[in-house]
Amino acid sequence: MRLELHGVSKSFGGLRAVNDVSLTVPEKNIFGLIGPNGAGKTTLFNLITGVYKRDKGSIRFGEDDVASLHPAAIAGIGIARTFQNIRLFAQLTVLENLLVAGELRKKAGLGAALIRSQAHYADEKLRRERAVELLSIFGLVEMADAPSTSLPYGDQRRLEIARAMMLAPKLLLLDEPAAGMNYGEAEGLKAQIRWLRDTFHISVVLVEHNMQVVMGVCEEIHVLDRGETIAHGSPLEVRESPAVLAAYLGQPAGEK
Amino acid sequence: MQRSSAIRNLAVVAAIFAVAVGLDFGLPLAIGDSSIRQLIMMALCNVLVAVSLNIINGMAGQFSIGHAGFIGIGAYGSAIVASNLHEHFGGGDPTFATSFLVVPLSIATSAIIAAFFGLIVGLPSLRLRGDYLAIVTLGFAEIFRLVIATAQIGDAQTIGQACSLVGGEHGIFQPALHCFSTIITSLGGQNGYAGPDNAGVPLYAGPFWIFGLCAIGCIAAWRIKFSGWGRALRALREDEIAAAAVGVDPTRYKVTSFVLAATGGGIAGGLMALMRDGTPIVQPESFGFQTSFDAITMVILGGSGSVSGSVIGALLVTFTVKAIELAQGTAAVQSLKMAWPALDLNALRMMIYGAVLVAMMIWRPEGLLGERELFGATSIKRKRGTKAISSKALR
Repeated sequence: MRLELHGVSKSFGGLRAVNDVSLTVPEKNIFGLIGPNGAGKTTLFNLITGVYKRDKGSIRFGEDDVASLHPAAIAGIGIARTFQNIRLFAQLTVLENLLVAGELRKKAGLGAALIRSQAHYADEKLRRERAVELLSIFGLVEMADAPSTSLPYGDQRRLEIARAMMLAPKLLLLDEPAAGMNYGEAEGLKAQIRWLRDTFHISVVLVEHNMQVVMGVCEEIHVLDRGETIAHGSPLEVRESPAVLAAYLGQPAGEK
Repeated sequence: MQRSSAIRNLAVVAAIFAVAVGLDFGLPLAIGDSSIRQLIMMALCNVLVAVSLNIINGMAGQFSIGHAGFIGIGAYGSAIVASNLHEHFGGGDPTFATSFLVVPLSIATSAIIAAFFGLIVGLPSLRLRGDYLAIVTLGFAEIFRLVIATAQIGDAQTIGQACSLVGGEHGIFQPALHCFSTIITSLGGQNGYAGPDNAGVPLYAGPFWIFGLCAIGCIAAWRIKFSGWGRALRALREDEIAAAAVGVDPTRYKVTSFVLAATGGGIAGGLMALMRDGTPIVQPESFGFQTSFDAITMVILGGSGSVSGSVIGALLVTFTVKAIELAQGTAAVQSLKMAWPALDLNALRMMIYGAVLVAMMIWRPEGLLGERELFGATSIKRKRGTKAISSKALR
């Protein structure tokens, strides 16, 4: 399914955080969203996931009009995300963090939980198996019962991705997954993103400042600056774009 | 374990039933003093109050300070249904046999009305956060209490006239409002409700009903906590935005848990109104802010989010308050009172109680148990979770 944004705008008071942005994320694509700080990348994520409501424009995911849904329903149609400042459920264990994300696909409701019916146990078991499987994929199974905030920073980031994958999404939005990672870890992340796409046949949208990751893994890149689109294309095209160079490095001397 | 869930449920119900029947007949034999029996049953009602409030205050992390409103609604609902049914049966002493008709009907009425009001209050207010929600719930409870306390007989006429002015003779709301005003003014106002002919509310709920429903309430709360639902509530409490992003709809989960808490409060109120050895009159003052505050104290003292903690908190608060009261009656304290009349011991009681709470919050802010439980359901679950690694879970 394709994610299509058309003429999306969002203002906070007088500040135009996102201004008339249109973009299409093709199916099974690894899509980079870059730009200097304050370009509106995270705001765009928040618009796609319903945390903010857009002022103008349309956001569609496949057949669904995303802009009319609330965040939990957006998770329900297959859009999962991570957060720039990690948002784990602090008091819950690593395993429980994933189990919460299984709530969406549950078949047994509150009534089943109250009478502890077979459906309740079957549901719990299925959810647990899926969670443990994902934890072992992300190398976190050893820490399943540890409080989630006791993990080292890098593991917390991976746990957040694992939790998002628990939703069995079709589109995964990663907000600065490589923040704070060293060269080796970033290489590992690149491989993991590719592996996720190939294994689960999902699209991945990446907001990232680490150019090693962005240029190495993205197939298409969209560049924002001060809420507006300034470039779009393959990594190579974006790298050569004068507008992008200007946005990141400033205008060359003598030009204005 | 899965196969036997029906059998296990049956066994649990049978066990509760047996203990409850035993208590109903055994308690009057074992304890001659009816005030002690009343205290025990009151403690059990308070357990239900604390356990239900814990769902919204502890598990979901919302701060409701209007639980007394739901208790009051439950009390009045049960009192009305039970006394009318009792009159219909021709009065006399409440018997154990007829209680099987009267109590379920009354308590069900209480539960449904309380749940309805839970929904009415919960839907708009759970979009609010923290302090704002607290104020709305407080406002609701106070409005409920004051509406009943200030409605006097004779007002029905006036309210009826006012309605006809607003809606006309054939207005849509007029009959409904008229019906409402008739009911509200028949509740005795400040003096309390004591049945249709002031014959007293029939006290049908013996230890059987009170213990039975209390036990079922605790089991239900326990099962909610250790289910996907409880986990989702805890996640919501930690981070609402992240919970929504993984598909937990905050409004739906919070409103449902609010309704569940209100239902529990309503049932507890109904039991208090019909409690054997209790007072045959339901008064609005019993459901003031003090009642809400006591309920919060029970939950926080025992450990917010812990079911067994709420049970302990409820028992502790009920018996401690009573113990201080009893201590005041002893000769030693009485003579002390005579020696220093300036020492107001009634005020001292609340000061001791307050000091204990302050000390508790300083040295153990998470309550006696924190979020833990007395006996472990988590450890069993964890073992099952990590060992059952199946590689075919993900297609």
